[in-house]
Amino acid sequence: MSTKVKVKTISMRDAIIEALTEEMERDEKTVLFGEDVGKFGGINAVTKGLYDKFGGKRVFDTPIAETTIVGAALGMAITGLRPIPELQFGDFVGIAFDEVFNKLGKWRYMHGGQMEVPVTLRLPIGIAGGAGPEHSQSPQALFMHAPGVQIAIPSTPYDAKGLLKTAIRDNNAVLFFEHKLLYGMKGEVPEEEYLIPLGKADIKREGSDVTIIATALQVHTALDAAKTLAKEGIQVEVVDPRTLAPLDKETILGSVRKTGRVLIVHEEPKTGGCGAEIAAQISEEALFDLHAPIRRIGSPDVPIAQSIYLEQFYRPSEEQIIEVVRELLEY
Amino acid sequence: MAEIYKKDINLGDYSKEDLIKFYKEMVKIRKFDENLIRLMHEGKVSGFYHSGIGSEGLSVGSIVNNLRDEDYIFYNHRGCNQKIAKGVPLSKIYGDFLGTIEGTTKGLGAGIVHSADPSRGVLGQCGTIGSQFNIVVGTGYSTKLQNTDQVSVCYFGDGAASREPLHGSLNWAGLYKLPVIYICENNGYAISSTLEETHSVREHIADWAWGYGIPSCVVDGNDVLLMNKVVKEAIDRAQRGEGPTFIEAQTFRHRGHFEGDAYDYVDKAVINDWKENRDPIKNYKKLLLENEICTEKDLLSIDEQLDQEILEAIKVAEEAPLPDPSRIYQGLFA
Repeated sequence: MSTKVKVKTISMRDAIIEALTEEMERDEKTVLFGEDVGKFGGINAVTKGLYDKFGGKRVFDTPIAETTIVGAALGMAITGLRPIPELQFGDFVGIAFDEVFNKLGKWRYMHGGQMEVPVTLRLPIGIAGGAGPEHSQSPQALFMHAPGVQIAIPSTPYDAKGLLKTAIRDNNAVLFFEHKLLYGMKGEVPEEEYLIPLGKADIKREGSDVTIIATALQVHTALDAAKTLAKEGIQVEVVDPRTLAPLDKETILGSVRKTGRVLIVHEEPKTGGCGAEIAAQISEEALFDLHAPIRRIGSPDVPIAQSIYLEQFYRPSEEQIIEVVRELLEY
Repeated sequence: MAEIYKKDINLGDYSKEDLIKFYKEMVKIRKFDENLIRLMHEGKVSGFYHSGIGSEGLSVGSIVNNLRDEDYIFYNHRGCNQKIAKGVPLSKIYGDFLGTIEGTTKGLGAGIVHSADPSRGVLGQCGTIGSQFNIVVGTGYSTKLQNTDQVSVCYFGDGAASREPLHGSLNWAGLYKLPVIYICENNGYAISSTLEETHSVREHIADWAWGYGIPSCVVDGNDVLLMNKVVKEAIDRAQRGEGPTFIEAQTFRHRGHFEGDAYDYVDKAVINDWKENRDPIKNYKKLLLENEICTEKDLLSIDEQLDQEILEAIKVAEEAPLPDPSRIYQGLFA
């Protein structure tokens, strides 16, 4: 961030609230709804204050009906509104799978491109405090396989605000994944308005030895590992794609070509996680720039235990990252 | 509980032009359908077609002189009936079946499902049957928030009525008093399964609406004028801000679920009874002639005009080119 810009330090939760507030003030066609998002302000307190500011017609509580929430968002979008539905937990997208996979992503295309689908569907994800196997998942990779939907997955307050504002203004569907443990994390955000384009990765730390591609909370784990490794003289580059669809292949490949070593880290089961697709794309286009095999650290391929003691073992750790980086450097 | 909707229809309430318009639209739909089936037999149209022959009264009655271009519809699996009644040009619909760029999807190909004409309020249909229940509460919310008097009409079959989203939809529409009109085209069969085999209801599908506090009724969907009246009342109710209405319109399909379906799961005598004695067009024609609204000759001339109109539409659709292969990459994002 340029030093000329006036900044403030706020949490990602507040950054999201600011983005929602600014966009709702900007366009009276924006509508926000979901379970307990109104007077209560959302179970993660991410819609706090919006009901008072914009009233019960534009910020409303819905019945527990994810299918209807997402389907209704599509109906609103194709008739002139700019809906921002929230699913209380990203896991619940399973209930509304048809509405996301077959409707949000396809409605415009399959009807000949005649409609706009400006839906921003917010989905909290991630392991956070013993929420169990149906309230802790990170299902974003499912939708890399769904043409027609865009996927944003911010890791900082700055990214969250800039991406969310862009997502709301975009005339296509955006699935906006927010890691629950990041809501309280603070970071610098400009006082002035700004937007971050979809499809533009961010190099969170520059380095020349190994590229770590990480998303959401894992960006921070990777940065911590990079800091530790720097003490040993190992320079790690941390790339945060910020959006998985569109995916900024150019930045990713640029970094890979520079370092020749790649580790992908995410809090999703390793099999079929976003790392699988990113690794495949790298091997298709930059295999001969690699000095070592592409490595991935994901969650184990099992459901997430309810136990607060056990759940930590599903989340990639700094130690795991450091170990794999060392292994990569042995080639 | 849902009531059986009965009203004395006074022909004097309608102008001669309107009465003839109902006839013309029903015959147009039937001729469209018959010609499409011919094109299928000629091998020009592939895929599954769900013929709407037998239920033209339901679509024409609900739409003609009731819905404006700005009113939204989500049509059902026999939805060409509704698209035509809503004014989508025949050449566009044939174009979708033939896969030429004349179609509403400009060559992607679409038959019943997935064609749309937003300029006439035709917002499309779901391949996953019945998913329109969710979407229509969104359009209803949208018009309510924007303070317009537009209504949203959701057509669906008795089969789709067993989809879970119906209940989420009715709950929202009732709760938020949305200007949504549910029209169940009950033809008694979900492919081969009967209503009794697939629904747990007190008596009628419309009874469900009662549970959600939504006015509901069961109506003879083959009586075009009765259908017109009941939907008019629903529109008035929606425009007064009183919320949704659920109409279960009873009808029957003359042909199988799709073209090629042997349709041997229904007794031939039953099908013949609907064809001979309860055909919406045949009965309406009789009504017009008996009341001397027009002569046999007038109607014949309308039929001939429509034959011509349809052949011209097919010609336009057929002569339009197939899309360039790059078409598949167009229109994903706005």
